[in-house]
Amino acid sequence: MAATRAAPHACEIFTSLEYGPVPESHACALAWLDTQDRCLGHYVNGKWLKPEHRNSVPCQDPITGENLASCLQAQAKDVAAAVEAARTAFKSWSAQPGVVRGQHLTRLAKVIQKHQRLLWTLESLVTGRVVREVRDGDVQLAQQLLHYHAIQASTQEEALAGWEPMGVIGLILPPTFSFLEMMWRICPALAMGCTVVALVPPTSPTPLLLAQLAGELGSFPGILNVISGPASLGPILASQPAIQKVAFCGALEEGRVLRRSLAGKCVELGLALGMESLLLLTDTADVDSAVEGVVDAAWSDRGPGGLRLLIQESVWDEFMRRLQERMGRLRSGQGLDGAVDMGTRGAAACDLAQRFVHEAQSQGAQVFQAGDVPPKSPFYPPTLVSNLPPASPCAQAEVPWPVVVASPFRTAKEALAVANGTPRGGSASVWSERLGQALELGYGLQMGTVWINAHNLRDPSVPTGGCKESGCSWHGGPDGLYEYLRPSRTPIQVSCLSKNMNYDTFGLAVPSTLPAGPEIGPSPAPPYGLFVGGRFQAPGARSSRPIQDSSGNLHGYVAEGGAKDIRGAVEAAHQAAPGWAGQSPGARAGLLWALAAALERRKSTLASRLERQGVELKAAEAEVELSARRLRAWGARAQAQGHTLQVSGLRGPVLRLREPLGVLAVVCPDEWPLLAFVSLLAPALACGNTVVMVPSAACPLLALEVCQDMATLFPAGLANVVTGDRDHLTRCLALHQDVQALWYFGSAQ
Amino acid sequence: MSAHNRGTDLDLSWISKIQVNHPAVLRRAEQIQARRTVKKEWQAAWLLKAVTFIDLTTLSGDDTSSNIQRLCYKAKYPIREDLLKALNMHDKGITTAAVCVYPARVCDAVRALKAAGCNIPVASVATGFPAGQTHLKTRLEEIRLAVEDGATEIDVVINRSLVLTGQWEGSDFIKTSTGKETVNATFPVAIVMLRAIRDFFWKTGNKIGFKPAGGIRSAKDSLAWLSLVKEELGDEWLKPELFRIGASTLLSDIERQIYHHVTGRYAAYHDLPMS
Repeated sequence: MAATRAAPHACEIFTSLEYGPVPESHACALAWLDTQDRCLGHYVNGKWLKPEHRNSVPCQDPITGENLASCLQAQAKDVAAAVEAARTAFKSWSAQPGVVRGQHLTRLAKVIQKHQRLLWTLESLVTGRVVREVRDGDVQLAQQLLHYHAIQASTQEEALAGWEPMGVIGLILPPTFSFLEMMWRICPALAMGCTVVALVPPTSPTPLLLAQLAGELGSFPGILNVISGPASLGPILASQPAIQKVAFCGALEEGRVLRRSLAGKCVELGLALGMESLLLLTDTADVDSAVEGVVDAAWSDRGPGGLRLLIQESVWDEFMRRLQERMGRLRSGQGLDGAVDMGTRGAAACDLAQRFVHEAQSQGAQVFQAGDVPPKSPFYPPTLVSNLPPASPCAQAEVPWPVVVASPFRTAKEALAVANGTPRGGSASVWSERLGQALELGYGLQMGTVWINAHNLRDPSVPTGGCKESGCSWHGGPDGLYEYLRPSRTPIQVSCLSKNMNYDTFGLAVPSTLPAGPEIGPSPAPPYGLFVGGRFQAPGARSSRPIQDSSGNLHGYVAEGGAKDIRGAVEAAHQAAPGWAGQSPGARAGLLWALAAALERRKSTLASRLERQGVELKAAEAEVELSARRLRAWGARAQAQGHTLQVSGLRGPVLRLREPLGVLAVVCPDEWPLLAFVSLLAPALACGNTVVMVPSAACPLLALEVCQDMATLFPAGLANVVTGDRDHLTRCLALHQDVQALWYFGSAQ
Repeated sequence: MSAHNRGTDLDLSWISKIQVNHPAVLRRAEQIQARRTVKKEWQAAWLLKAVTFIDLTTLSGDDTSSNIQRLCYKAKYPIREDLLKALNMHDKGITTAAVCVYPARVCDAVRALKAAGCNIPVASVATGFPAGQTHLKTRLEEIRLAVEDGATEIDVVINRSLVLTGQWEGSDFIKTSTGKETVNATFPVAIVMLRAIRDFFWKTGNKIGFKPAGGIRSAKDSLAWLSLVKEELGDEWLKPELFRIGASTLLSDIERQIYHHVTGRYAAYHDLPMS
């Protein structure tokens, strides 16, 4: 046979054994863009929507800068149109039996399977992420998500009987999101019967392709609508009356802005913020595999952000050597090249990384970069930063891709302190071959997801989420479904945004109180003071406020609590928190039952005080009994609470722990002064939290009565009660950054 | 062969400090082929390089001088001349790294190689291959006889009973297995071995070679193996002195791939000379 091809390079390659480029063709992506004449619009209600007179923004290849297509910048009208379409679709979609919804999702999964090459080529081309990750990770996981949620949908009627879908969900995605992040949110929403309007930045057409694939299934157009537009439309989307919830994932600042703009609008907000994760390496780990873990976490285009490394001092040198050696073997290049480890995230990400590294260097860090990387922007080489002083600003800031910041630690206790010492609480991995140590560290880390001896493993049935500043929305698994559900027959909430809301002056002034007559009440009157740290204390401000009964006479005086008292109360609660959280569920149940019994012993006093407030005797007694009953019910629930062990496809068990939040602040409503107080206290305590309560402003005396019993029964600081001006105290609590959650029942403001 | 492993004092603490996390190693093994591929000229060049690492092996009960001779000739001329010419590699002296046979056939192999005018080493398996359950005296005698016959490399089967009771021996090369087990050369096992080789080099400066054998049949597999060694140990180990692949049918698959690269067509069975 005659030879028909010449290969002049073969000799050189034979000697050097270098890798060559393995480019994948992006012809199919370009062909799809051509079907829209390279000019993409929005996809609403099963059809392309290209309204006139809109600005258009070019969608560029992040590497060559070549214009691939132009996308529209939406305006408020487009958003309204999309929401309307979703709302109409919601009526029929949510009325479908779960099985039908499940089947529809399965069909969507099959359609994705048929067009997966187009999907991954387009995503890799436009975002610059390496095609291997998109192909083997994102697209496969997207199909799995659809299948998983299809099954969840089909069992929804039985398994989730008391819950109904929320309505129309607005999804806001930041400029650098991945297709997979979007799927994590869309799948549970659709499965549970909600419909989705997604606002995507104009530079990524992949969601439009997805919407087209979904729309072409025919039966339910309008369940997935995609609008491309600027981030400023976010609040407009959120304020559409039909939108029940907004889901956002992205950077911290944008999340904050969104939260602020949505306050008071009775739209729920699900946030998943921050992109950094943590890797904790102990001296009993498989160091080589941990190095691979670092590569998976930071330099494989799988995770969105950078990585913080905590390495035990005794293995520091060994680990650094192996890591640096491994970095030298990494390859970076065009996303569509099949033989590279990582691609690019665009010029903006490159600049961010550049700035971070320069700042770190100026603060005294050492920087190591390696790998086979094209020299110019927007490629940035894998970077390892070490010796960064812990107090420097860079050590506090979020680590951008593709930087890894390494710091040493000496003992496990120190590791936990350093790891938990940042406001970010997304995900982390612990590397240790000693089971006890691994679990101890895993429990101690205040992170949403902790992997042991692995990093960034994801499975549709395993819930992932964050804590602290990383937002508190959960996705995946049965827990993730609740993001898009609410209890059946919840009344529609009315937006209660007050027009002249001034954050700076709200609750600042405390009305002064003056003597108002003799106290008439059943004796003995409850002890005077604030119930903080297990005993009654005088308020810092040393003044009181009068409480009136239903006929306008003075019922009694209670202490006027202020900012200092709140601070003290929160401190006391924090001190009691670890002990209380560590109590067994049975012990907690026991305490709540004891309180219930004490309440019953005190029934006559409580009933007569309620009578003073205008409640009839019979009703008063009933209220006391109901309060005791509620306490007991929550005690029982505390005992039944369990953590679950789950087996998923991840080569190892998954432990789902329900952890108490920490310190809860509760501002009680005016009505039902006893019942509400108890009903809010009990669940918080049952789950292992400690509380700071602001009782009903109309009659806090009842709460103080209960405090007398709590003084004898509860450990100090478990429940703290601060009376005073409700607005002022609410302000203090809201501004206190160490309160994990605040339940508020009160005025619109 | 490069300088022999001078060995070190046996320090069992090295071994007890080693931690290997099985699922993590499995994950890494799965990724190898996905992360690195080579195509076109790179693939052709890599395949030719892979040929130079092969220990062309025949270990059958019915080996005779005729098939040994055919094997040795194939070792000298592994790829058809015109294909090599098309790649401009015909004058690079591409041969396999060695020929591997049973001790009784070493004589035949040496004779055949001499007749072909070739100085490829002859490797012999020895020491009660494949089970290793023979007396020390006969095992030493086997090695002596094989070396007398002209073998310059010996694949030694270690006494697994000693391993399982923690008594260790040293070597110049480590091999995954005899090739006669049910599960032979797999990536997870190889990853752990390669990391051990690298650690040993960092600690002592000695470079130990690596030879996977058994189950490597396709050209694609061989590329993955090359990639694995390149990633874990680096280019220095990609030399016949430090890396061998024990295989028999691999060579024909490589030849078919090269045929496809050069001509653009898939060869029929009879198009390529048998080995």
